[in-house]
Amino acid sequence: MSLKRLLQISLLVVSLFLSSLPMSARVISVPRQPPPRTFDQPSDEKFVFGKVDQDLLSEIKLLDERFEKEGAVYHEPGLDAYLKRVGTLVVADQKLENVEWKFRALRDPVPNAFAMPNGSIFINTGLLALLEDENQLAAVLAHEVTHVSHRHTYLQNRSLRKKVLTVNILNTIANWNPIAGGAGLAISLIANVSPLLLALSMLGYSRDQEKEADLEGLKAATAAGFAPEGMPNSFKAMQRDIEGEQLNTFYSDHPKLQDRINYTGSSIAAGAKKLSEDEAKTAKTDYLALMEMVDRHDVDLAINEARFRSAVFASQKLVDLHPDSSENVFYLAESYRTLGPRNAVLTDRQLTSGAKKSAAKTRSKRTLEEQDAELLATPAGQEAWKANSAKSESLFIRALELDRFNARAHRGLGMLYEKLNRKEDAASEYAKYLELAPGAIDNERIRRRISVLRESNK
Amino acid sequence: MKISFRFVFVILCCVFVNYDVAKVEAQYLHPKVVEKKVTIRSAVILPAKVEIVKESAKGQEMMVAESADISSSVMEAVGESLQKKKITVAPNPFEASAMDESRKYTLADIQTRYDGLLPKMLKKSDDVKKARFTLGDEVMLLNVHKDADVLVFIRGQGRMFTKGKTAFSLVNILSFDFPFAQITVGIVDAQSGEVLAFTKPMSASKVLKDKKALSKMIEKSLKKVPAAAQ
Repeated sequence: MSLKRLLQISLLVVSLFLSSLPMSARVISVPRQPPPRTFDQPSDEKFVFGKVDQDLLSEIKLLDERFEKEGAVYHEPGLDAYLKRVGTLVVADQKLENVEWKFRALRDPVPNAFAMPNGSIFINTGLLALLEDENQLAAVLAHEVTHVSHRHTYLQNRSLRKKVLTVNILNTIANWNPIAGGAGLAISLIANVSPLLLALSMLGYSRDQEKEADLEGLKAATAAGFAPEGMPNSFKAMQRDIEGEQLNTFYSDHPKLQDRINYTGSSIAAGAKKLSEDEAKTAKTDYLALMEMVDRHDVDLAINEARFRSAVFASQKLVDLHPDSSENVFYLAESYRTLGPRNAVLTDRQLTSGAKKSAAKTRSKRTLEEQDAELLATPAGQEAWKANSAKSESLFIRALELDRFNARAHRGLGMLYEKLNRKEDAASEYAKYLELAPGAIDNERIRRRISVLRESNK
Repeated sequence: MKISFRFVFVILCCVFVNYDVAKVEAQYLHPKVVEKKVTIRSAVILPAKVEIVKESAKGQEMMVAESADISSSVMEAVGESLQKKKITVAPNPFEASAMDESRKYTLADIQTRYDGLLPKMLKKSDDVKKARFTLGDEVMLLNVHKDADVLVFIRGQGRMFTKGKTAFSLVNILSFDFPFAQITVGIVDAQSGEVLAFTKPMSASKVLKDKKALSKMIEKSLKKVPAAAQ
């Protein structure tokens, strides 16, 4: 290959890389180190909506509507009003083009929150159940508000589109690469690693935006009168790896939680408002009381999605808050019943990276019934089932002592006895349930269970 | 010589895609269905979730409205195919406007249960024949028509290519990057929650926009499901 040809190819590759850099005056890149500014300044004064952004916005609006239609959003008047109040305080008086602020809870037991560029902020019930006070909630909402006000989704979308185009062009060059030898190899190599470079660059970009959202969110929450320690404390709450699913991946789209605790902690001004011990305690109790209904709903969701340890965690909080509430005791009993042969809290050994990866693999391969059967075949699993079923039974009985009309406690006992092969007891508890709740949604289901139990007893 | 071989290969691949040779129809039946211990006479189809994305040379874009339209078309096609087998399809009891919040939540929870099981069924579809998969009797919480034998879950995904992306995929034919559509249909016992039948037809994504072709694909994919009159 001639030197001239090599030079031409090199120029082509370099020009393709350059083509991925921002060209339009409308494109604004997020600075790696955002300059200090106060949050009430309009953060998007230079942002001009292009066609790509408008298209994305219309799709997002439709998606937002779909969440409502499909029952993904949790509506409870008290919670709706509470989220609106805290969210509005954090937003202050920001008015942005194409943004209508809405703060809602998503019916999802996974601890997470996210923002849509149209101003819809969603916080999962799983995260609401994990947070400990209003300051932490304000910090989470402020973080998400920053994503919207700094137009992070649009910027990321613009950046991704340019990078994907570059990768596609590089791939084409590599596939039709007519050059042999070292130069040809180099071109193929660049093309082959370009998807990985794209992924890494997008993750890095995302991490920068997350850091910006953390730091700007901290300022916003503080400016709105919330205790700044809410931000690092919310990360501490998220650090609880209840389900053993926080894997240390090589590269993530969020900074590591410990790093986030460190840099937000060190950003808190020395003279900033700090809660006294009593204030912190009151803030915690007030928040838990407000979240009681949400937490109960989240326990149901966690059980439905086989996040049994999270269910135990949330329902234990409910019982700690109101130990004499028959409903709360019922939820704890139900959580222990469904926990089955698992231990309620993961051991240090189960929290090692290898063990978590292995558990994730098992979850992806085995059905719930198979996982239960495998665990029950081990002495540890049998022991856990024995302890959990005994605890569950005593809690169901306690729930009935607190309120003898708690129909669901009878149903729970029925299910527990059925699993323990105490068929007559199970049928009797189910019958009590139907007597107390004749119009229950699962009336047919329980009737069928009774008839199956009676059939098998004949 | 090298270029001419590639040219021929490109032409062959175009023919391959255009004639939908890639259509794959896999069907798996629960032993109870095979042994005729269960007869499916009536069905309730749950709201389908078919997600399609537009793929251009610059990446993917959501198609939320189109996905909703295609979901309805697929639901319709599945309903027609079942009716051809003399299986009665109950009127949709899950119209979003007619449901209160608690009914929406119940439906969403059952759909989530199915979504949790789906990856396992896709990975080891053959295990449907071993009666390995069930949603549990929680499905009865939906309180659908009392005489419904089965619930039908429909999922799908598809990629629509823009002209630019089509050009790239043809030029890079060896990357085997084609616009495809995969639909999965899970037929679940309305009382026990057992997965009685599972199919996962796959085709070129243009089938999603052609109602006739879509019906044909679904019909073929449900071919093994026994007719109610049998």
